[in-house]
Amino acid sequence: MEDLWVAVLWGMKIWLYLIISLIMVPAMFGFSLGISETYMTILIKTLEWATLKLQKEKADEQTLKTSASNGLIQREDGSMEKELEELRRSRPKPPVGGDFTLSDCFYFSRKGIESIVEDEVTQRFSSEELVSWNLLTRTNNDFEYISLKLTLVYGLGIFVRYCILAPLRITLACIGLTWLVIGTSAVGFLPNSSVKYWLSEWVHVMCYRICARGLSAAIRYHNRENKPKKGGICVANHTTPIDIVILCNDGCYAMVGQVHGGLMGIVQRAMVRSCPHVWFERAEMKDRHLVTKRLKDHVNDKTKLPILIFPEGTCVNNTSVMMFKKGSFEIGATIYPVAIKYDPKFGDAFWNSSKYSMVSYLLRMMTSWALVCNVWYLPAMHQQEGEDAVQFANRVKSAIAHQGGLVDLQWDGGLKRAKVKETFREQQQKKYSNMVVGDESSNSD
Amino acid sequence: MCTHPPADEVRRLDKRFKKLDLDDSGELSVDEFMSLPELQQNPLVQRVIDIFDKDGNGEVDFNEFIEGVLQFSVRGTKEQRLRFAFRIYDMDNDGFISNGELFQVLKTMVGTNVEDVQLQQIVDKTIVSADTDGDGRVSYQEFCAVVGGLDFHKNMIVDV
Repeated sequence: MEDLWVAVLWGMKIWLYLIISLIMVPAMFGFSLGISETYMTILIKTLEWATLKLQKEKADEQTLKTSASNGLIQREDGSMEKELEELRRSRPKPPVGGDFTLSDCFYFSRKGIESIVEDEVTQRFSSEELVSWNLLTRTNNDFEYISLKLTLVYGLGIFVRYCILAPLRITLACIGLTWLVIGTSAVGFLPNSSVKYWLSEWVHVMCYRICARGLSAAIRYHNRENKPKKGGICVANHTTPIDIVILCNDGCYAMVGQVHGGLMGIVQRAMVRSCPHVWFERAEMKDRHLVTKRLKDHVNDKTKLPILIFPEGTCVNNTSVMMFKKGSFEIGATIYPVAIKYDPKFGDAFWNSSKYSMVSYLLRMMTSWALVCNVWYLPAMHQQEGEDAVQFANRVKSAIAHQGGLVDLQWDGGLKRAKVKETFREQQQKKYSNMVVGDESSNSD
Repeated sequence: MCTHPPADEVRRLDKRFKKLDLDDSGELSVDEFMSLPELQQNPLVQRVIDIFDKDGNGEVDFNEFIEGVLQFSVRGTKEQRLRFAFRIYDMDNDGFISNGELFQVLKTMVGTNVEDVQLQQIVDKTIVSADTDGDGRVSYQEFCAVVGGLDFHKNMIVDV
């Protein structure tokens, strides 16, 4: 019995030393030993092989429908005016009276049916469906048994992910977080000086790097010359809380958020000791003027780090960018847009907060293949003359959507939980009324 | 009668139905339809749901759902689509669009942007021009005579 215990402890010690030397130290100093690269190459090759196998089988049945958007239906993209014009075009114009015709209802009915079958909004609040299976149980929607080899690889995949990778990643994540708390608290004791700032940045980046290794993240940064500078605001599309880890691997940002209790609270308090972040009490968040003022103060102090904000206000599934809330665009600072796009083949990064709690989400992340993403730094944008905050926000949103290959939607991410305002329907009614009676002014009587 | 839809389409619509059925009751209530933001802004949504609900129990079950949606696919016939459009106006399903019914439906489409007097004028003119047998209301045949020509119904195809 004794021997067994000794052996177990000894094994764990070796395990820890291996982790520290092979993963932590390179992470701390920012170089790589090539282990993750090899893993990724093997992984990509395996997934490609699996895809080929699946496609060969499906080609016989010819049931795979290739559609660019992977959607259920094709939509007519015309506006209300254009479509109603078409509906009315081929009949004689009435001699007098408003331009109403019985066929006008076709447009609304069709739009209604289209929304019922597949709507643009609610599909953004659940995980993206994959075109071909990536050997994870959770993405297995329609795929049936294909061959023995594939099932074996799938089984091997489960073993590797749950028994080898997951414990490794959990250990790393724990080390990373503990290090973050200890490191930032320690730095907090130093007097304010350039050494302190340098150390604080180094501690932050190092801990985020360890956390990134803890998720097997392979991040590629593009256009790093556009990286956010001090005194500016960095905005990005929001898919998951891990976005913060992704962005902070390449630079230091000041966070904005609500003060939490528990573990998150400890982390927050530690972080704010070493460099100024902007944490709000729950009550303060409702007071828009207070929020704006604090952000303005932070931004105007040119020695402080750029603020990181996610203007969507909620997590969306990375196929689209939803409405940007105008608050951060009213401050008048330089905006540095950043586009983040995850590769769904290796794991679904989206946090569906109504379906999974934070802990089960993190566990899912740690049992995926990997987290592969691209980060694009876009050139800085300023609010132009005569442009109001909403237009500015939309302009930034389009730039981000365009760069990341995401759909640019006007809908509010808050619709996840709230109802649409009556004004939308009233807008539609108004538009239609213009078509029905708008022409009256040109009639003779 | 539409031809039997392939299993693929039915399966996808089944998934969609389950997703919309928030309380897992096996039937879609008006509230569950209204959880779709795009539908909330559509002025005719109540009419569409009423037409789907064939047995009139206020909820749409899976068969009604499939039947309703497939009318709009390429598999549906011109006749089905015209019938659907007719039903939008024919609120009591008596086979005729009366002056009052047309007024009510038009009212939901324009909201408060058009005065009742003006709206009534538009309704009167439309009924008069379509009503060829002079009974003061529009029957299905008269309706088809106005809209059935050319390719109007093609604008109602949803490519499922």
